[in-house]
Amino acid sequence: MAAPNVIEVKKLSRIFRNGDIEVHALKDVDLVIGPGEFVAIMGASGSGKSTLLSILGCLDKPTTGEYFLDGVHVTGLDKNELADVRNQKIGFIFQSYNLLPRTTALENVGLPLVYNRSSLFGNPREIATKALQQVGLGDRLHHKPNQMSGGQQQRVAIARALVNDPAIILADEATGNLDSKASIEIAELFVRLNDAGKTIIMITHEPDIAQYAKRIVTFRDGIIAADQTVAQRTPVHLPTSNKTI
Amino acid sequence: MNTLKGTKTSLAFVAKIVHIALEAIVKNRNRSFLTTLGIIIGVAAVIMTISAGEGARLEIEKQIEGLGVNMVMIRAKQEPRGGIVVRVGKPITVKDYEMLQQNAVWINRVSPVVGLGVRVISPWGNKNSFVYGVSDQHFDIMALQVISGEGFTLADVKAAKKVCLIGETIREELFPNLDPIGQEVRINTVPFTIIGLLEEQGQFMGQDQDDMVVAPYTTVVNRLYGDVNFNSMLASAIAEDHVEDAKQETIALLRESHKLLPDEPDDFEVMTQLELMEITGQITGILTILLAAIASISLLVGGIGIMNIMLVSVTERTREIGIRLALGARESDILTQFLIEAVALSAAGGVVGIGLGVLGNFLIYKFTGFFIPTSYTSIVIGFGFSAMIGVGFGYFPARKAARLNPIDALHYE
Ligand SMILES: Nc1ncnc2c1ncn2[C@@H]1O[C@H](COP(=O)(O)OP(=O)(O)OP(=O)(O)O)[C@@H](O)[C@H]1O
Ligand SMILES: [Mg+2]
Repeated sequence: MAAPNVIEVKKLSRIFRNGDIEVHALKDVDLVIGPGEFVAIMGASGSGKSTLLSILGCLDKPTTGEYFLDGVHVTGLDKNELADVRNQKIGFIFQSYNLLPRTTALENVGLPLVYNRSSLFGNPREIATKALQQVGLGDRLHHKPNQMSGGQQQRVAIARALVNDPAIILADEATGNLDSKASIEIAELFVRLNDAGKTIIMITHEPDIAQYAKRIVTFRDGIIAADQTVAQRTPVHLPTSNKTI
Repeated sequence: MNTLKGTKTSLAFVAKIVHIALEAIVKNRNRSFLTTLGIIIGVAAVIMTISAGEGARLEIEKQIEGLGVNMVMIRAKQEPRGGIVVRVGKPITVKDYEMLQQNAVWINRVSPVVGLGVRVISPWGNKNSFVYGVSDQHFDIMALQVISGEGFTLADVKAAKKVCLIGETIREELFPNLDPIGQEVRINTVPFTIIGLLEEQGQFMGQDQDDMVVAPYTTVVNRLYGDVNFNSMLASAIAEDHVEDAKQETIALLRESHKLLPDEPDDFEVMTQLELMEITGQITGILTILLAAIASISLLVGGIGIMNIMLVSVTERTREIGIRLALGARESDILTQFLIEAVALSAAGGVVGIGLGVLGNFLIYKFTGFFIPTSYTSIVIGFGFSAMIGVGFGYFPARKAARLNPIDALHYE
């Protein structure tokens, strides 16, 4: 039997109500993403990309529709179960990093381990250190966010997303705050993670960055306007010695 | 949920949350310090003010006990009329005095008291003071010691001799560095011979008890007062467990003396030392409440300080909560963390506040001599209030944030 789809979304809608005004941010969206895929989501501002990703990341709930994540019927879960799903199945990466201030890289990366209720993992410190080494920050373990560049902070956030070995990585404009060099580094990191087997969905406005993905889904006004395979993927430089993976 | 690796909350898991909470306190030193400071000030203020009230009450009780447990006080009925207290009904007279002296069996001593404001003059100075006309038994009733010279006798009273005893304050001002015994002093225009010096008594309910002259009531009535009636009488029961008998007997005898019909109410008041203590207890109770009100204001100010800090940090903390939720914290995990933070800060602030309050009481004692025993009530109230404020302002905003959709907590502005 084939592995289950990582993401399966049926007739997903999200309506924001502000007084009398209703915004239909998502309109009956159907989407299937299999294991090992690397999807870029594109589309104009306000087309519903972040809304979809927040729902996929269990940070928000759809108004109607069904959502299955790694075989779990997410739309039927209670609050605590959703928290556990966020913790164990999802690695979310934000445009603004969302690291805790005054907290070292190691502690930030260790945070998802704190809230992990399974006792299957080993020494949290070791796991967090390994995750930081994976993103090339083995020498920045005890730096605080304000002591790191934007690119480094985003890599801490990626390490944090990886630390509980989630079923999927979700990134909402992960390179939006970075210059092109740092953006490319992050994109190449995603490619290497994907090559190692991680399923990744990333929102981006930059066509260059989207070309690192295997598939591009384009949104317009809350619906999927296009869904293409990337013919000519941007090749990735060989990993340097301290950027293992 | 079979595809999740674990969903049970273990003890080890709770330990991790406790660790996170304590870490957050240390990481946000300034916020923690300011929060604690508000609590410290509030608790210390409550402890000091409530203790001061209770200290005053204990002091007064001690002094009333010093008056002698057997004492019975008798005075004409007084009522407030248009802002001033006036006598209603018959005055206390010599007839009443003799009635008690001759007929009472539960009373062994009785003395009239005629008090009035006078000017006391010696060759070395003069001052406004009070003279009390009493009988020779007054010294025993009031347990009043004569430290040099002697008290007057029944013969002195009967002869209305112009002799007197003075308190330490009078001696100091009118006979500086002199032995006053045998000296002459003029009270208003009447010359008196000083035959004794009264032991120092200090303050009683804010009044200097050493600023007074004691003389035979006969002399005071004849020479100074211009009225044969008394302000009041003091008596003492034969024994401590017959004070109530003495009171009932006094009432019966005075009713007879005043010729009151059975259905007429008493036109005088008889009070035992115990009842006096109860009344002053009520007064100092009001004082304590007043002080507690002041203390509550300082608590409130401390509380508003805490609230301010919490509100300022609510944006940052809501974001923090959003991040924690996004990383998989349950609502209960956030609540546990914030509750521990609030309780730890309140407890720390409370403990330091108690220490500071006790120290404050001690310093007051050191510098003013007014001993304030730290009351347990004040500690309980102070601690309870501070815990409520700390938990209220620390916990409830967090609970609100923890109930948000994670995405809304993350986007909070
Ligand atoms: N919390 C909200 N309340 C009301 N309307 C919202 C809310 N969040 C999003 N919207 C609306 O939903 C629509 C989709 O927003 P969304 O953030 O998904 O767009 P986006 O594709 O991510 O845009 P961008 O590329 O600018 O990030 C927009 O019209 C937006 O105004
Ligand atoms: Mg967006």
